[in-house]
Amino acid sequence: MLISNSKLAWHFYQQEFSSSHQRLLRWTQGILLLFIMTLGQTSQSIQAYLNDNLQSLLGADAVLSQSSALTIKQQKELAAITNTIVQTQDIKTTLTHNEHWQRTKLKAVDAQYPLQGQLFTSSSLNDNEVVTQSGPEQGHIWLDARLLAGLSINIGDTLKIANQAFLVARVLHHEPDRLMEGHNVDMRAMINTLDIKSLEFAPELIHYRYLIAGSVSQIKALITWQQENLPASQVHHKQGNHPLALFWKRTENFMGLASVLLFFMAAIAINQLTQVHIKKDQYFSAICMSLGATKSTGIQVSILKWLFGLLLIMPVIVTLSAISHWLIINWLNETFTEIVWQWRLTSMLHSVLAVTTIFAIFHAPVWLSLRNNSVAKLFSNNKQGLSHWLSKLSSLVVLSLVVISYSDNALLTLMMVAAIGFTIVVMILVSWSSLTIGEKLSQSFSGLIPFSLFMMKQRLISKSTQILGVGLCAFLLLFTLMLLKDLGNTMTSYQRQHDGNIIVSQATKPQMQFIENWANEHAIDIRQAKPYMYAKLVAVNSQTLAEFSSKPSDSMATFSHAIRLHWSEVVPKNNKVIDGQWWQNNTENWQQISVEEEVMTDLGLALGDWLTFFIGQQQVKLQIVASHVFQPGAGSITFWVQMPPTALAHIQSAHYSMASIELTQQQETLLPALWQKFPTLRMVSLKEVTERFDSMLAMITKVISGFSLMIIILASVVILASISALESQEKKKNSIIMSFGFTQVTCLKLNVIEWLVTASITAIGAILGTYFSGMLIYQSQFSLKYQPDFIWLSITLAIILSVVTGLGIYASRHSLQSSVKQLMSDT
Amino acid sequence: MPCNIELRNICQSFQTNDTKVTLFEGLNLTISRGKSYAITGPSGAGKSSLLMLMSGLEEPTSGTGTYVNGEQTKPLPELRSDIGFIFQQFHLLPELTALNNVALPLKLRGDKNAVTKAKHWLEKVGLQHRFDHKPSQLSGGEQQRVAIARALVFEPKFIFADEPTGNLDQKSASEIADILFTCCQENNAGLVAVTHSEVLAERAQHRFSLAEGQLSTQETNILKVASC
Repeated sequence: MLISNSKLAWHFYQQEFSSSHQRLLRWTQGILLLFIMTLGQTSQSIQAYLNDNLQSLLGADAVLSQSSALTIKQQKELAAITNTIVQTQDIKTTLTHNEHWQRTKLKAVDAQYPLQGQLFTSSSLNDNEVVTQSGPEQGHIWLDARLLAGLSINIGDTLKIANQAFLVARVLHHEPDRLMEGHNVDMRAMINTLDIKSLEFAPELIHYRYLIAGSVSQIKALITWQQENLPASQVHHKQGNHPLALFWKRTENFMGLASVLLFFMAAIAINQLTQVHIKKDQYFSAICMSLGATKSTGIQVSILKWLFGLLLIMPVIVTLSAISHWLIINWLNETFTEIVWQWRLTSMLHSVLAVTTIFAIFHAPVWLSLRNNSVAKLFSNNKQGLSHWLSKLSSLVVLSLVVISYSDNALLTLMMVAAIGFTIVVMILVSWSSLTIGEKLSQSFSGLIPFSLFMMKQRLISKSTQILGVGLCAFLLLFTLMLLKDLGNTMTSYQRQHDGNIIVSQATKPQMQFIENWANEHAIDIRQAKPYMYAKLVAVNSQTLAEFSSKPSDSMATFSHAIRLHWSEVVPKNNKVIDGQWWQNNTENWQQISVEEEVMTDLGLALGDWLTFFIGQQQVKLQIVASHVFQPGAGSITFWVQMPPTALAHIQSAHYSMASIELTQQQETLLPALWQKFPTLRMVSLKEVTERFDSMLAMITKVISGFSLMIIILASVVILASISALESQEKKKNSIIMSFGFTQVTCLKLNVIEWLVTASITAIGAILGTYFSGMLIYQSQFSLKYQPDFIWLSITLAIILSVVTGLGIYASRHSLQSSVKQLMSDT
Repeated sequence: MPCNIELRNICQSFQTNDTKVTLFEGLNLTISRGKSYAITGPSGAGKSSLLMLMSGLEEPTSGTGTYVNGEQTKPLPELRSDIGFIFQQFHLLPELTALNNVALPLKLRGDKNAVTKAKHWLEKVGLQHRFDHKPSQLSGGEQQRVAIARALVFEPKFIFADEPTGNLDQKSASEIADILFTCCQENNAGLVAVTHSEVLAERAQHRFSLAEGQLSTQETNILKVASC
């Protein structure tokens, strides 16, 4: 039975192969499968790469890192539970040579370094790199090739750091414990651990890392010991997660969330196409049943036909996905060096199965309509009923599940869904009100426009679906393009808008005092200066951070390191309290804190929660009493977490400052001297910032362009699907109009007017939706002030809508090829 | 003032694969405004094709068709704005109410009194209680009454009906025939009906039979007058 049904389904499928509804379904399914399959493959490749990387680049069985050195007691305890310990120290500094300066990660190693893996160096830039048994001698410094070039210095030259001379001895090529630096591209330098003491860097600026060799059980013991004794430190080990795993998980989730938009559009397209499929399959099933076949035959044939369609596009999709995957892996090589292309069958099957299930649910109305109808009903093409609404509901549930499974940023997800919901409501309201009012107002006028409005109003439900489909596509496309443009504009105009062109991200107290005097002396304007201390969040309401929230998010990623804790008597001018109450002046209750709104949402915090921070060498408990947000216009330096100044009396920790400084081009020559005096001063010129932004923008542009292309293709499919769904109705309408004595030209004019009205309604919906999304999302997610450029919006929209109208009219040409003769032959 | 459709020496044929099929040839016929005509004949004889030719929707293979309106003689395609159609399948727009279906041709012509006139016509065909019903809520006979009202509402000079009672039971068919002929007569519209129904054909003033390419005249009874 199944074989004969398969043959019948195959025959039926071949007959329908080149019809538009099948072609459009293939496109919709193909685009989504391609996207999800490629995303799945890329994700698997990266996770596998990170895992290999963890095994080969940790340089130890475990690494314990923290911002202070272990005490003698702690070192003894650690030595007792592990085999070997090697200490390294890192500090971010600025190296200067003549007029050149370069931000550098300076690493100090002892005689036992490296613990595991191989250290590669060479005696000159042109020499082959060789395995080196231990780090530099005292008084020597090794620089990486980029740093040599950046400082215009050669092997054998002398380099001064904080007035101490170092001999540039070798070129540093590869450190076996680079994993912890992950994706950072800082330039590298290495010295002997004995030298770092003589440089007299502030101890709190040095980051300590302990490379540890030990068995699996020893590492477990180490973790237990660390959780009890050093809760603010971090441990990475070979059985654990790669430091970049969380970063990649976030990227994957973001892409996944973006795919929700594609699924949403696919759902609209399939919903439109379903109307045609129901009609065709019901008719076919009715004929089969009238010839004695059972109801299940019709359903089986319909399911098999659908499966054939999906199976036949699979080879094309797999090939395209393999090519896309290869291209992406090549592109990612810049970030994940030595990552290799590999096709993973399990991942492919997983993606195919998941997407196929979703498609099946979207397509279910067709099968339900066959199941719930009798022969008589089939002939009369009955598609309403409970199953119709159930299938709609299940589509919504599927979309929600996709959103939930990919969402790691509850606020962004909520905002995106709210923006889509808002756009839908706006378009429904605009459709209904404009057509109703338009029809009423134009009743006293004669002509084709009032007639078109009248017809559209009468066919409001079917038209609304079409308008919604097209409108959502226009909205998504417009928002994506607007975001791309605005991110670019913001980055390029950053220099003009920013309060200062030099940002000091970390200055110690003496450094800040020196900067203030230095600024006074040279008439340099310090725009802002705000104090802070480093604090590592270790617990929320007595639960560890990991226990409290396991979902990856921006906030969670940042809280895995120490954050900057600011103190202020009053609400900073660039902040606004949106929940709770800021503390009184000189309050005695110092255990209070205000947390930024998005952090509250991401971590699921509420007013009254107690946060435990590890600050300096002590644990401090602070209660959330307020929630604040950034408000533009009064400087850009803002902090996620703030406390009353009276807390300072109870917390022993180093104080730092963040500042923004305005420097003229001539004054920039004063910077090398400042860095020579304070190599650890974290200061970045706006030029460097914009360069970083530019490279980030280039990456975002690539990603968004690729995504826009997908949206454009899917948008076209949605438009074509919505036309295809209404084609038979349109054809009939045109034939009837012609039977009243009108020509095809009249039908064409009516068609143009209908598309213009459709385009205008979608334009209003898309503009309002984009505006609303901008207001919601820009500031909170991208730290951009939303200033809609209505001229740009209108021009872009006009272009999109001209294309939409043009495509609509072009695709409707079949419905214009109607005649009275067809009505006569339609018996 | 004469108002006629004239077909002279008309031939209609078409090609299927290697075979040329001739529906009819040397056909001459005059249709006058205000009169009723019925065309009968077996399936495939070319009745509907003849209807298409008469209404100017199709060009004959050879021969001439003209539309004489007073002193003006025009080619048949220019007849388009003066004709209305009634179909076997009714072809009402499903999303419109009966009233809006009837008002449709008037709205397209920009008639400000479209709804009032449509109401008047629905009353004429006995559907004053069905203004706001959609086609799916009407019986076949009622749908055809709406279609008749829609075809006549813009006062065309000729009505072409293709099997107007083909989908109806005997009782409904009889009622529809009454309404169709009476309304056309009252409106002074020429009616050409293609039909298999003897009952309908007998009501026409002129009756033709199309078979084997030849059109022959048949005797008819006098037109019965019914209320309209």
